[in-house]
Amino acid sequence: MPVVRLYYQDLEEMVGAPRETIMNRLPMIGADIGKRAEEDHVDVEFFPDRPDLYSSEGVARAMQGFLEVETGLVEYEVHPGKVALDVDLSVKDVRPIIGCAVVRGLEFTDPAIESLMDLQEDLHWGLGRNRKKVAIGVHDISRVEPPFRYLGENPEREFVPLGYEESMSMREMLKRHPKGMDYGHILDGFDRYPLIVDAKNRVLSFPPIINGQLTSVTETTRDLFIDVTGTDPVVHRALNIVVCALAERGGRIESVLVRDQASAFSSPDLKPSRWTVDHEEANRLIGTQMSQEEAVGCLRRMRFGAQKKGPEIEVLVPAYRADIMHSWDIFEDLAKGFGYENIPAHLPGTNTIARAHPLEERKAEVREVMAGLGYLETMPFTLTSEKVNFRNMGRHEGGHTRVRHPISELHTMIRTSIMPSLLEIFSFNQHHPLPQRIFAVGDVVIEGRTRTSLAAASIHSAAGFAEIRSVVDAVLRDLGLDLQIVPSDNGAFIPGRGADLVAEQEANLESGRAGGAGRSGGRRLGCFGEVHPQTIVGFGLEQPVVALELLIDA
Amino acid sequence: MGLSWAYLRPNITLANPDKISYFFRTVDGHLKYGFLDSLAVDVIIMASVELSERDKLVLQAVSRGMTDPRAIAEKHHLPFESVISTADLLAEKGLVLVEKRTDEVCSLTPEGRKYAEEGLPERQILNLVASGLSMSELKDPSLKIGIGWVRKKGWATIDKGILRPSGQATPGKDEETLELLSQGSRSGSELDKDALAELKKRALVNSSTAKSWQFSLTSRGSEIDLDAAFVQGIKQLTPSLIKSGQWKDQRFIPYDVTLSSESVYPGKRHPYQRLIDAMRAIMLEMGFTEIKGDIVQSSFWNFDALFQPQDHPAREMQDTFYLDSLAEIPDYSRVKEMHERGGAVGSAGWGGCWSPEVARQEVLRTHTTSISIHYLADHPEPPVKAFCIDRVYRREAIDATHTPEFEQLEGIIMDRGVSFGNLLGFLKEFYAKMGFEEVRFRPGYFPYTEPSVEPEVWIDGLGWVELGGAGVFRREVTAPFGIEHPVLAWGLGVSRVAMLTLGLKDLRLLYQSDMGWLRETPVSVQRSR
Repeated sequence: MPVVRLYYQDLEEMVGAPRETIMNRLPMIGADIGKRAEEDHVDVEFFPDRPDLYSSEGVARAMQGFLEVETGLVEYEVHPGKVALDVDLSVKDVRPIIGCAVVRGLEFTDPAIESLMDLQEDLHWGLGRNRKKVAIGVHDISRVEPPFRYLGENPEREFVPLGYEESMSMREMLKRHPKGMDYGHILDGFDRYPLIVDAKNRVLSFPPIINGQLTSVTETTRDLFIDVTGTDPVVHRALNIVVCALAERGGRIESVLVRDQASAFSSPDLKPSRWTVDHEEANRLIGTQMSQEEAVGCLRRMRFGAQKKGPEIEVLVPAYRADIMHSWDIFEDLAKGFGYENIPAHLPGTNTIARAHPLEERKAEVREVMAGLGYLETMPFTLTSEKVNFRNMGRHEGGHTRVRHPISELHTMIRTSIMPSLLEIFSFNQHHPLPQRIFAVGDVVIEGRTRTSLAAASIHSAAGFAEIRSVVDAVLRDLGLDLQIVPSDNGAFIPGRGADLVAEQEANLESGRAGGAGRSGGRRLGCFGEVHPQTIVGFGLEQPVVALELLIDA
Repeated sequence: MGLSWAYLRPNITLANPDKISYFFRTVDGHLKYGFLDSLAVDVIIMASVELSERDKLVLQAVSRGMTDPRAIAEKHHLPFESVISTADLLAEKGLVLVEKRTDEVCSLTPEGRKYAEEGLPERQILNLVASGLSMSELKDPSLKIGIGWVRKKGWATIDKGILRPSGQATPGKDEETLELLSQGSRSGSELDKDALAELKKRALVNSSTAKSWQFSLTSRGSEIDLDAAFVQGIKQLTPSLIKSGQWKDQRFIPYDVTLSSESVYPGKRHPYQRLIDAMRAIMLEMGFTEIKGDIVQSSFWNFDALFQPQDHPAREMQDTFYLDSLAEIPDYSRVKEMHERGGAVGSAGWGGCWSPEVARQEVLRTHTTSISIHYLADHPEPPVKAFCIDRVYRREAIDATHTPEFEQLEGIIMDRGVSFGNLLGFLKEFYAKMGFEEVRFRPGYFPYTEPSVEPEVWIDGLGWVELGGAGVFRREVTAPFGIEHPVLAWGLGVSRVAMLTLGLKDLRLLYQSDMGWLRETPVSVQRSR
């Protein structure tokens, strides 16, 4: 989640309230204050649905309302400007949408520059899907001459990118410039790249990769040209958030005329959107009994425009809010404005009769039996590898679910059997006294289906077939299972000392779907025996092991 | 404050108690080990004494004044060596003091025995001379060696071959010793040291070393309740003792019941499973139905059904384990319509084009909410109260606080007229049952709930700790499945609770368990409610 750095002094000045008051109430508009507060600042996390809070200016605006320093809608005036931008047809395929604005008369203090840069980055992440949907460029407009042009350009076109002294081609930038390497994939497959140039064909920006060096912003910059480009209309929302934040810093917003062959529009459009909501519906959702007046007050506290309109409430949603897509989104703000701590918290009256899941009850029976037999329960990971699940066990690979992009070679698939995990646990515990007897009951995935399996294993110098046979008999007896015990060719066991647990013939139809067919032709539900020394050694063990495995959901 | 006490293991000798290290147990039950004088121990408790039949015989003999093991062995027809070893054991129990001596035993050589009968050569010469014999008449060569001794002892002078007695020839210590030894072997300590040395030098006396023992009772040995300890006792009760009734005639040897024995550990549920079961019990107690689902889910149930846009960051390969397989998905027309245009609930929708191919991609479920929405789609009529505790998967590198799979608790309440306030009321009750009495609610954000809340619980020493998330399912989530009443939903990372209640520092311990931890973690946990 985006982290916004708030400087106390800066914030106090903008909000007009003491630092303690702000910090106390800040979490209640939806924020996670970092545990480590520094002398002069604190880092605060905001949620992905509120990109308008990704700047200290946006936070200050919200807190002014929440603390009732100033409530209701902030109306940002867009002054008619003289700058125009022409959109060339050549860019429509690669990055069709653009919004822009001019903001004049800014004074960039350090916190202001830092806040603007952070806001830009957070919007790239939050709304922009890492610049794919939205990319923002900010320019010192005094260095260039309007009108500007947004076009699809030949990748061989050269200019000096931000932070460099020599010019290079756009194609080269994708290979050599750090930003090009990070974001170049967005332009994969296009033969023309987006570019913004001025009246003299000088480069302002190569969206969504990098600006030109020419228009870089410094502390002496006073007037900005902002371009936001992308593939989705959310571009305009991002632009609104940026210009409104700059307006909070005292900037004067001027419109830009954006033209293409067919039409023209004035950007930015900061008109609030108009909603009509029913406060009784809000009361039902939230569980409150607010009057219409109270509801209006709560909404204004959250910086909406709000007024009674008959039995309903007319709400003006500011142009910088990106999260209001349904009336319930407004109701959530209403609840925040009311204060979560003031909402009556009563148990629901819903009467229902509980029912445990039969499979969980089965697992509880298994645990009772295994614990009674002296086995300690373990809960290993279900993620494992082919090496552990198959190769170490002398088994053929198959029937398993692989993950497409494993994060480590230890976790490439979901286990088809729990027994290997138990041997792994033995290998972690060789410094503890023997005998060790452990079991696990949990999920395996066989042929894409989630199944529930029990595995148990015993390791000590005298572990032998008779021991595990006794345990198998006890398990079958106590779980009420009637399974045939037939010789097994399971490679995990010493030949002649392994057995399969097979369901009766009547279940033949299902064979193949489950663990596979046993020798008798029935469904194989499990196996047990003396673990093969090759397997013992494979897990780095030095003592005899006996083990069993049984699907318990059959 | 209670007294601390030490108990002495019976196999530790009491000969010098201060300088011997002991196991001792302090009042609070800890076993320690150290020198007695370095321990601030208030009371020493003697380990009770176990005496065997043989112990009993030997101790009785010593208490009746028999100090010599040979005598004891003879009297009780015991092998001498076993009397010695029994006495040593009794000494270790602090009952008997065993003094062991190594002695020199002296006896006469054949030559010495001859002279003991006939007199030393110098004495014989003196006698012969007294009877008028001249020196030249001494023919016996064995006597000739006496001449030197006569002069050396000052019994006579020799002048020009003539021996003149001095008149002083009282029998010496050597002759007395010879006389004594002629009666039998003697300990070197009973004999005159110089004379013995002289006789040994003259090869008239032989010496050899011999061990001897002397037993006596220690003060503890004499204080011991003879009747109590000396009665013949039963150690192991056997079936034959029971059947024969012999146990009635004998006493059971009392054991030191404070001694610890070998550690044994029961088989038991995993501590984490016990926590999960406790949470299941709470949910069942509150009337919820337990539900389950597959680990492998379609993106449709994992994301799309929850109104997560198809380009949402949480759906990226970065965070989610995708599989190579595609799933069958149900009729998706209403979900598609909701994503693209907001359906008929007055939502704006996400816009763009919703792709069924993306929805078919299979994933390892990233949350149990996929199970909840699937269950609700199958049970759209109120009331529904359902919960699920199961593993979920996130593509995260493994470390102390992150594991790629972990348990999540998920609960839903769907009914006519339930509200966000009811959700808060439910959460208060649930956390209180979990032992977290103080709960507060902070606004939160989840893509599929509105309003959303992040509950925080107060934990002494940690402050407010975020524990789970909750909210009311958005209309965009419920409407496509014909669910017309509010759904209150909440979820909770169970492993986070485990870290708090089991005091874990490393989550991996839950899954890659240390056997010592499993064995030692008590089954019993304190519950506040």
